[in-house]
Amino acid sequence: MKVAFPYMGTTVIYKKLLELLGNQVVTPPKPSQRTIDLGVKYSPEFACFPLKVITGSYIEAIEKGADTLVTSGGNGPCRAGFYEKVHRRILEEEGFDADFIVFNSPYLDWNNFIKNAKKIKGDTSVFKVVSSLKTVFYMIKKLDDLEKRVQKIRAYEVTKGQTTKVWEDIQSIFDKAYTKKEVQRAYIESMVLLDKIKTKEVKEDKRLRIGIVGEIYVVMEPTINIKMEEMLGNLGVEVERSQYLYDWVCYSTLSKMPLINKTHEKKIVELGEEYIPINIGGHARQSVGHIVDYHNRGFDGVIHLMPFGCLPELVTQSIIPKISNELDIPVLSLSLDEQTGVANTLTRVEAFVDLIKGKKRKKIS
Amino acid sequence: MKAYMGIDIGSVSTNIVIIDNNNEVLHSLYARTNGQPIETVKNGLKEIASKLDKDIKISAVGTTGSGRQLVGIMVGADVVKNEITAHATATASEVPDVKTIFEIGGQDSKIIVLEDQMVTDFAMNTVCAAGTGSFLDHQAERLGVPIEEFGSLALTAQRNVRIAGRCTVFAESDMIAKQQYGFSKAEIINGLCQALVRNYINNLGRGKKLKPPYVFQGGVAANEGIKAAFEKEINHKVIVPKHYDIMGAIGSAILAKDHISREGIQTNFRGFQSTDLDFTPSTFQCNDCSNFCEVIKVELEGQIVAMWQDRCGKYSNTKEVI
Repeated sequence: MKVAFPYMGTTVIYKKLLELLGNQVVTPPKPSQRTIDLGVKYSPEFACFPLKVITGSYIEAIEKGADTLVTSGGNGPCRAGFYEKVHRRILEEEGFDADFIVFNSPYLDWNNFIKNAKKIKGDTSVFKVVSSLKTVFYMIKKLDDLEKRVQKIRAYEVTKGQTTKVWEDIQSIFDKAYTKKEVQRAYIESMVLLDKIKTKEVKEDKRLRIGIVGEIYVVMEPTINIKMEEMLGNLGVEVERSQYLYDWVCYSTLSKMPLINKTHEKKIVELGEEYIPINIGGHARQSVGHIVDYHNRGFDGVIHLMPFGCLPELVTQSIIPKISNELDIPVLSLSLDEQTGVANTLTRVEAFVDLIKGKKRKKIS
Repeated sequence: MKAYMGIDIGSVSTNIVIIDNNNEVLHSLYARTNGQPIETVKNGLKEIASKLDKDIKISAVGTTGSGRQLVGIMVGADVVKNEITAHATATASEVPDVKTIFEIGGQDSKIIVLEDQMVTDFAMNTVCAAGTGSFLDHQAERLGVPIEEFGSLALTAQRNVRIAGRCTVFAESDMIAKQQYGFSKAEIINGLCQALVRNYINNLGRGKKLKPPYVFQGGVAANEGIKAAFEKEINHKVIVPKHYDIMGAIGSAILAKDHISREGIQTNFRGFQSTDLDFTPSTFQCNDCSNFCEVIKVELEGQIVAMWQDRCGKYSNTKEVI
């Protein structure tokens, strides 16, 4: 069994987990123009952008020899819950041969979850499974920590592009770590690399902070969101994302255990409930909650990313003017798909950064 | 005397202005870009240079518009800024209490909301070129009316016609149908102006509180029909500033001036003789990965001065891009 997975964010983590469980892993290539072209060609036109890119990604993984695709499921009103069904049919119709293992929330269907878990773990002993999970969990936390640092340092780097390069190096360092000890060593090595990056001194009151919120795939995958974090970093802005893998995993596993669920994500959902009281699917409630949270934490602005035609995020977009007005925090909504032009988006982002800079400058004087 | 230059390289027109310390326009030039930004700017600079007094010294240069990066490198600009900030800067200087700016240019339209001379919100057309200068140009040509008379003709309309304004193709077929029903040219043009404004306000103004004073600028502001349609739609007077068609250039000149004085530095301007330098932008496709980026390479006198538009940063990181 050669397994692959949808490409999203720091893929070294999924790769590691599957490897530690004794699987042969095929990492799909980073989404490129070819991935998008393939995805757009074989997907329904009105499907959302993530579905299209993942279609392309699956095809490229199968070309590289994958025969089993591992993905997460979904429930509730968002179309993401049907991804696996749609992908299965597209791949079948186009003559690609692959099996799917779909992980839904164990709370939804415990038996199926166990059945899938057994498929994935193969002959690996339960002891090894537990220790692998621990290692990977530890690794996610460390990588998220490092990424948060990267997103701050990038704004002040002296040599343009250096931080991004170091971040890529860090991911390949972690790719070689297989035990907790090795992860620890990788972490220290990475911290040293980050310390070596030369940065400009910028006074605290001159620093700009922007939070990125929105649908998880376009927020987490830089090749799809025209490298929004880098774009902002190059304009001298510190960035934080609404989604990090560690928070997401913690929240998902604890979501039905209200008493021990003390994650920040839970608070976010509560903050969002004031504006979107029910679950309308996707990350609409989280997006809104994060905007409130970024405001509470003194961020200067928020960029809201959504795939073109994403229903939950369209609802968010229509509530944003109200929130933005009430809390006095500027928000820029951008919708992304295969038609998105870089020049046009850059103009908007640049103007938005000017806007928050001006707003801040006035506040100081 | 110190003077400051702003260049706005748009899709349809290229504007160059020279302003003095009080943001007063000394010279201005409005030329059609005709798809050749480099040539247009070179010719424009020569023309401006021939008009300038000997004692005027260009102390700062700013560029804006879609060609801002390329021309910024060519002339040695101090500030390379997006159109939204540039336009807002110019308007805030000319109409200090402005709250809402309607800007309609050749290929895009914007709405900018200000509070105390600060931009607080903005929107740019996302979907289609409907309601911008190029479309009006095209329709004027089709109806055989010179674009300069287009607006005043609209004002003579006797009856109201409703034209579908969602996109240019549908608007055009609807106009042809209405012509066949026997409406006059003036009425059709008037209907078109109203459709464009309706579309503009519905699309860009969505969810925004628009407050007076309203300023209408950009090349299309020359069109009285559109101005009248705006006043009818929002039920309030709309101000068209004196230099409505070169506001972007004025704004970038002001931004450059402020930048130089704030940082206390000398200008990077290569001088008017730079128009004689051999400046060649070119593109090549990088085949190193499956992204196949079209990388832009700019050479000055045979030396590579800038490269950009590669996704991995392999080329752009080797050269400083302003």
